[in-house]
Amino acid sequence: MPGVDPWVLREALRRSAPTLVFYLVLLALYLAMPQYSQFIAMILFYAILGQAFNIFMGMTGYVDFGYVAFLASGAYAFSLAAIALSEAGVTGWIFIPVGLAFAAIVAATLASIVGAIALRLRGAYFAIATIGVNEGLRYFVEGANLLGGSIGLYIVKNLKALVGKEGYQLAATLLADLLMFLLAAVTVLVTGIILSSRLGYALQAIREDEDAARALGINVTKYKVTAFIISGMLGGMLGALNWALKGGVVEPAHVFMIHYTVEAIVIVMLGGAGTLLGPVFGAMTYIGLNYVSNVYIAPILESMGIKATGLHLIILAPILLAIIIAAPNGIVGLLKERIKNPRIRSFIT
Amino acid sequence: MVDVGLVVANLVYGLLIGIIYGIATVGLNMIFGVLKIVNVGHGAFIMVGAYVTLLLFTLAGVTPPLTIVASMAVGIGLGLLFYYLVIKYLVDAPELATLLATFAIGVLLQEIVKAFMGADSRGFTWNLGNIEIAGVSVALSKVIAAILSIALLGFLYLVIYRTKLGLAIRAVVQDKEGAMVVGVDVDRIYAISFALGIMVTVASGSILAMYLQSGIHPYMGEIYTLKGFVIAVMAGLGSIPGAFIAGILFGLFENLSYVALQSIEGIQPLVLTRSIAFLLLLIILLVKPSGLFQR
Amino acid sequence: MAGKNLYLGVGILIIIILLAGVFMMQGGEEQATQTGETTPAAGQTQEQTQAQETQQEAKTETQTEAQAGGEVETLVIGAPLSLSGKYAKEGEMSLMGALAAVKWINDNGGITVNGKKYMLEFKYYDDESNPDRVTSIVERLITQDGVKFLLAPYSSGLTAKAAPVAERYGALMLSHGGASDKIFQQGYDYLVQILTPASRYFTSVLDMVKAIDPQAKTVAIVYKENEFSRTVAEGAKAYAEKLGFEVVYFQSYPADAQDLTPVLQPLKDLQPDVIIGGGHFADGQLLARQINELGIKAKLVGILVAPALPDFYKNLGEAAEGIVYPSQWEPGVTFSPETTPQGYEWYGPTVEEFIKYFKEVAKERGKGDIMPSYHAADAAAAILFLAKAIEQANSLNPDDVRQAMNDLALFTFYGKLKIDPETGLQIGHDMIVGQWQNGKKVIVWPKEAAQAEPLYPKP
Repeated sequence: MPGVDPWVLREALRRSAPTLVFYLVLLALYLAMPQYSQFIAMILFYAILGQAFNIFMGMTGYVDFGYVAFLASGAYAFSLAAIALSEAGVTGWIFIPVGLAFAAIVAATLASIVGAIALRLRGAYFAIATIGVNEGLRYFVEGANLLGGSIGLYIVKNLKALVGKEGYQLAATLLADLLMFLLAAVTVLVTGIILSSRLGYALQAIREDEDAARALGINVTKYKVTAFIISGMLGGMLGALNWALKGGVVEPAHVFMIHYTVEAIVIVMLGGAGTLLGPVFGAMTYIGLNYVSNVYIAPILESMGIKATGLHLIILAPILLAIIIAAPNGIVGLLKERIKNPRIRSFIT
Repeated sequence: MVDVGLVVANLVYGLLIGIIYGIATVGLNMIFGVLKIVNVGHGAFIMVGAYVTLLLFTLAGVTPPLTIVASMAVGIGLGLLFYYLVIKYLVDAPELATLLATFAIGVLLQEIVKAFMGADSRGFTWNLGNIEIAGVSVALSKVIAAILSIALLGFLYLVIYRTKLGLAIRAVVQDKEGAMVVGVDVDRIYAISFALGIMVTVASGSILAMYLQSGIHPYMGEIYTLKGFVIAVMAGLGSIPGAFIAGILFGLFENLSYVALQSIEGIQPLVLTRSIAFLLLLIILLVKPSGLFQR
Repeated sequence: MAGKNLYLGVGILIIIILLAGVFMMQGGEEQATQTGETTPAAGQTQEQTQAQETQQEAKTETQTEAQAGGEVETLVIGAPLSLSGKYAKEGEMSLMGALAAVKWINDNGGITVNGKKYMLEFKYYDDESNPDRVTSIVERLITQDGVKFLLAPYSSGLTAKAAPVAERYGALMLSHGGASDKIFQQGYDYLVQILTPASRYFTSVLDMVKAIDPQAKTVAIVYKENEFSRTVAEGAKAYAEKLGFEVVYFQSYPADAQDLTPVLQPLKDLQPDVIIGGGHFADGQLLARQINELGIKAKLVGILVAPALPDFYKNLGEAAEGIVYPSQWEPGVTFSPETTPQGYEWYGPTVEEFIKYFKEVAKERGKGDIMPSYHAADAAAAILFLAKAIEQANSLNPDDVRQAMNDLALFTFYGKLKIDPETGLQIGHDMIVGQWQNGKKVIVWPKEAAQAEPLYPKP
């Protein structure tokens, strides 16, 4: 960001450092243990999802149920760029920066439109309005036969035309993941900058008491819309990387699934809303528990003669409930409460 | 060219499904009205009601209208259970916590039902023949479902406006502290209101099962959560009779916008009605965010 | 608050138990592989004891030795299965079908590669019908469980996500469900299809109408707006027009529609000869019920997926009567070693054997006495096709096996299996047409497989 106060930058780095270290550890594990790389990539996707979602929800307290629409718009934009480039006869890796930029622009545009309309609402009304945006878009794509309609866009062939078969394999398994690590770092830094800057303080004031903030002369709408756009833009790039580049198929029934927003909420809540470390912890816990109960516990139950499949969600749901009730400020909140040592505390951001 | 017969048929069916939408939203709005909690697991409770009817009818031969009583009992039980286990601790928690908790409850219900009943889409046949309404042939079972919805609404209305309990509930809605001062046990009122809201929701699941008689599966409720949100906002969150009327309007709107879209080439009109419905939601929120029926 | 601490305590306890479970399981897994290797030996001793009791030692010993062929190894076939989420129903059936096929193969001596005997083991995890979960599971199957051959996940979205991971490790995937034609136009080298592609679902039904009623002219198509059903509907429309039908109505309904009356209402006036469409389980039942309720008359009503399930009639009663459906497979098919067509080779269980094995598996899994749906048959056919290709290739290298598949023309309880070498698309297998008659499913087309005359026009 141009014109950022050096003090703000230093402060942002200080705050971001512990989370960045976590991502570095994840990256090291990713590279060192290829047999677990997709598991780590899955955690990474959910961590970024939480992190990007957190920028708006965690800091303002507004719940955007339609957040997944930004991921969807990014995935569509990236796919369109890839299709256009491959059909224009372009080859090579240029499609990735072009596609990502286009995804960011489209998602930011969508965010500014939605933000301008929906951010006039509050609380449950805002939450429900954003559901409306998401579902409205999905059924518009399907009903008006736009962008491949309900069948969606298939771009594996186009990607293979752009960078060859081996290139695509590399892109879908390794490169997309590495770019996601990069996106994770960017997201963390952006969050750090926001938290340390005037924007962050304004958002905090809004979260505490929006009317009081307005009365104090804070331009509430401007700050809210800014955070909303940043959050949406990052989401758009995540959708582009994980669903378009890594997935190769953009299907409306999948990319507009509200379930992803709900998962993002779970992750942010679990880790601690408005914090930097929260989404990483949240994603690790949520996906970790899910994976453990799915891959380890379910087969044990099965060997004990309990044959019902898909049991792991029954285990997961009560755990979630317990965490919400016992630790409403998430894991990070719990750590802050329990750890008294100020030096260690300063790392829990 | 607009086909008159098609319009009338869509009006009749829109009205009937609208009544069902209405009763399926009342519970959601009641819970929001009293506890200020948006029940994201709403649809899962509707699904439970549908299974109650399915099982009682197919296994014990209980006639579907009677199964509503069982559903109401199940609803009260589930409502009290989840209130004292979970919601009690979250009444004053931030919005996020309750959204998440009710979501988790929904998932839990879905998965438990799936573990016992399997993921199959089930149905049953309760055919009473057809009757004519305004020249449109309609299954009698659908009409009965609509009548029962109105009866259920009437029952809830009586509870809230004609009993001492209802008075206490209304007092809590209007002024929580004041109610506490005059000796109302707010926690108890919350519990009862939550249970009543869940009761209506589960019962509406029974009515829905009676109406559709097919497509009963563990995840069937999700669409009613979404539609319920739209209808609840149309009505104004918290308004009980408003939710019912908004449901009817929503049903009519869905079916009539289909007729309007049908003449356009190259699109899928019934799919687009969904888009239009959500567009309507946005317009209402912007023009009159407090809903159509909120004072 | 006491309540809060209680919850905290319980939560932590559960997490500890979960973690403990992981470590136990990791230990257990190693044991499992060991027992996997030693099982045949254990079986041997048991048989020996029995033999001693009946005092036929010498004879039995040679027999078991011959059976064991010196040493027996385990070949693990893996699958990400949708055991929860929106494809849970198909996932359950696929699982039981695959297990039935594996069991049949093992009971019939396993497979032989380079003179070595291999018993099959089927390893699977739940992918939650979610593309973001499927990659880690495929990776786990390949890297941890040592799987080189996989059943692909259900649906195109999941397959597209899983394919690059499988290709990276050079593992071969057999698609046994839900993946549309488009996925096979994307240039995958290690993806092979087992069932008839979506675009050809309704061709047999339309052929049948053309053959028994040349007068029939008009076709209405009403389908669910999603990737699979739309591919089917568009394929059906193109084929109907090719056969000279007039497609008078082509409309869809949203994926989770609960009321189809608006979209069905116009059919009362249009009175098409043929109505085809549908999508999935829930909406397919709804479609059949509401066509009946609205009193829409057509000579033939053909619906996707839903009517193939035994529950269809139980749920719908008379509204199901006369409904026609395209099916990948039905328990009543008459495919047998004797009817093997020219150029094809018979392999695998007979239809009766498959049903018997399936029922055993279903009973073990607490599902009661149920019949296999075609999803079960799809998965079983995939296992059989794979097993035969491995034997044919005489190698466990996925490249060799993929090569061998190109030349494989297999006839099984599931019918013909043959793939297009270039794309991996299934070109051998044909859909059959079933119909509900007097509360029973019967096969009415193609003629050579038919159990009864089609009930036409629909009563």
